[in-house]
Amino acid sequence: MALFPISSNFEDDFVLQLVPVDTENTMDEVAEACAVHSLNRRVAPREGKILRVRRSSDGTVFPRDMKLGEAGLMPTETVDIIFSDV
Amino acid sequence: MTILNQAEWYDISRSTTWTPKYVTEEELFPEEMSGARGIPLEKWATYDEPYKVIYSDYVNTQREKDAGAYSVKAALERANFVDEADQGWVSTLKAHYGAIAVAEYAASTGEARMARFSKAPGNRNMATFGMLDEVRHGQIQLYFPHEYTERDRQWDWAHKAYHTNEWGAIAARHMFDDMMMTRDAISVAIMLTFAFETGFTNMQFLALASDAAEGGDHTFASLISSIQTDEARHAQQGGPALKILLENGKKDVAQRLIDVAFWRSWKLFSVLTGPMMDYYTPAEHRSQSFKEFMQEWIIGQFERQMQDLGLDTPWYWDEFIRALDETHHGMHLGVWYWRPTVWWNPSAGVTPDDRDWLEEKYPGWNSTWGKCWDVIIDNLANGRPELTGPATLPMICNMSNIPIVGTPGDGWNVVDYPLEHEGRLYHFGSEPDRWVFEQEPERYQGHMNFIDRFLAGQIQPADLMGGLQYMGLAPGEIGDDAHNYAWMAAYQKEAAE
Repeated sequence: MALFPISSNFEDDFVLQLVPVDTENTMDEVAEACAVHSLNRRVAPREGKILRVRRSSDGTVFPRDMKLGEAGLMPTETVDIIFSDV
Repeated sequence: MTILNQAEWYDISRSTTWTPKYVTEEELFPEEMSGARGIPLEKWATYDEPYKVIYSDYVNTQREKDAGAYSVKAALERANFVDEADQGWVSTLKAHYGAIAVAEYAASTGEARMARFSKAPGNRNMATFGMLDEVRHGQIQLYFPHEYTERDRQWDWAHKAYHTNEWGAIAARHMFDDMMMTRDAISVAIMLTFAFETGFTNMQFLALASDAAEGGDHTFASLISSIQTDEARHAQQGGPALKILLENGKKDVAQRLIDVAFWRSWKLFSVLTGPMMDYYTPAEHRSQSFKEFMQEWIIGQFERQMQDLGLDTPWYWDEFIRALDETHHGMHLGVWYWRPTVWWNPSAGVTPDDRDWLEEKYPGWNSTWGKCWDVIIDNLANGRPELTGPATLPMICNMSNIPIVGTPGDGWNVVDYPLEHEGRLYHFGSEPDRWVFEQEPERYQGHMNFIDRFLAGQIQPADLMGGLQYMGLAPGEIGDDAHNYAWMAAYQKEAAE
């Protein structure tokens, strides 16, 4: 369990943001933490969509229950938070 | 006795090259300070400056310029223009003075390096005057805002900004340190005077002079026009230096210096001048959009100058032209959203009428930037102001030191340009920013941007208040909406109807 900074690139937003998360967080929890800083602030919610976490550098969409510490990300690495149907 | 024409004796009087007897040429002109790049002294002696100025003429002209600007100021002082002016314009003035005034003093150091260490006598002569120019610009741009300091503390940032770790001040310092404080004389001639001053100072000074005159701020218009006439002269030091580099097979060196300095200048202008021109200046006083000014002054004039000299446009020219539609909108939204972190009060500039203007000048604005503003407006209209301010930090580019932005909404294209170098992960806002780093990693790799400092624990407490304290922003100085959200009235009226 360790504090882990990531760079959040939230779909429809205009800027990358620093978001502190934890290596024990699931990807759903990571998406939720990132949403706090974009959704309903500058990005309108989309009905019926869920948020998924994607590695920016290679486009890998992480499983929703994967723990952040297992994803092999570097501190401050950028992840895209994208709206998805599944 | 017949008095010779100046043209007949000028070259002799300024040819101050001599043969050193007590030191070697290398000791007199160390390469790291001179930047002669192996080109011999006699070649540098052919440097032909377009402006031929002698000291007595210089002093007379400068005296007249000062007398003109100061007398306009004195005559209009009682009119209290800033008390009546739109607050967006007041913010433009505060941002301008803080970002520019003290940097002018620093620029005199860059000029002094050329005055002492350039191997070209003509460059040394012009730089001596350039050095005096920059001292004048520092003084006059501190003196003019000083009369406003009794109005509020933000005006004090004309002098204070560069002495703080405010993020914009870090960005400006990093860029100016790179191109004028830590380079050899020839690099300064090319990066500062050719790329930055010829390319960009025109924007800041001519464009704002035009907007100032349109808005009735004749004091500011006369001040910056007075400065611009100096810039027009000393900005011409780079051209003859470039000619010598090109004649001696150093085109690659010259091109790289320009490509680095031009991109760095563009990024700083995108956060400083772009928002001023397209959002802070009231729409009725805007003579052109930021993009139109850039197209006229940068693309038109600078491109032609590059071609005339036999240089290429920078390799990223297509990306630069594309970014004219994008970057400054993101910088503006970022500065407004993180408004407590600046020393001026950003003007939102997004009333329904403003948005019509933006859509006309930047087709697609409403379906991209406008979508972010729609959410902000909805929050303000429905009593959720806490969602219209920051709860974390934006990621900051490790080259430009400004936020990493892209287009939101329907055109969503925000991308990080990362680079892992010697075990550290760097982030850049564009491919050219990353390219600049890769040219000389050892030059840039040690610098810590605002995020790096935050993560290293230098900013305590690690929250907004700790950040403001670290940036030197005290109560009464931190920014808020320029019009105290009065621009929301049009939306509230629309909703009521």
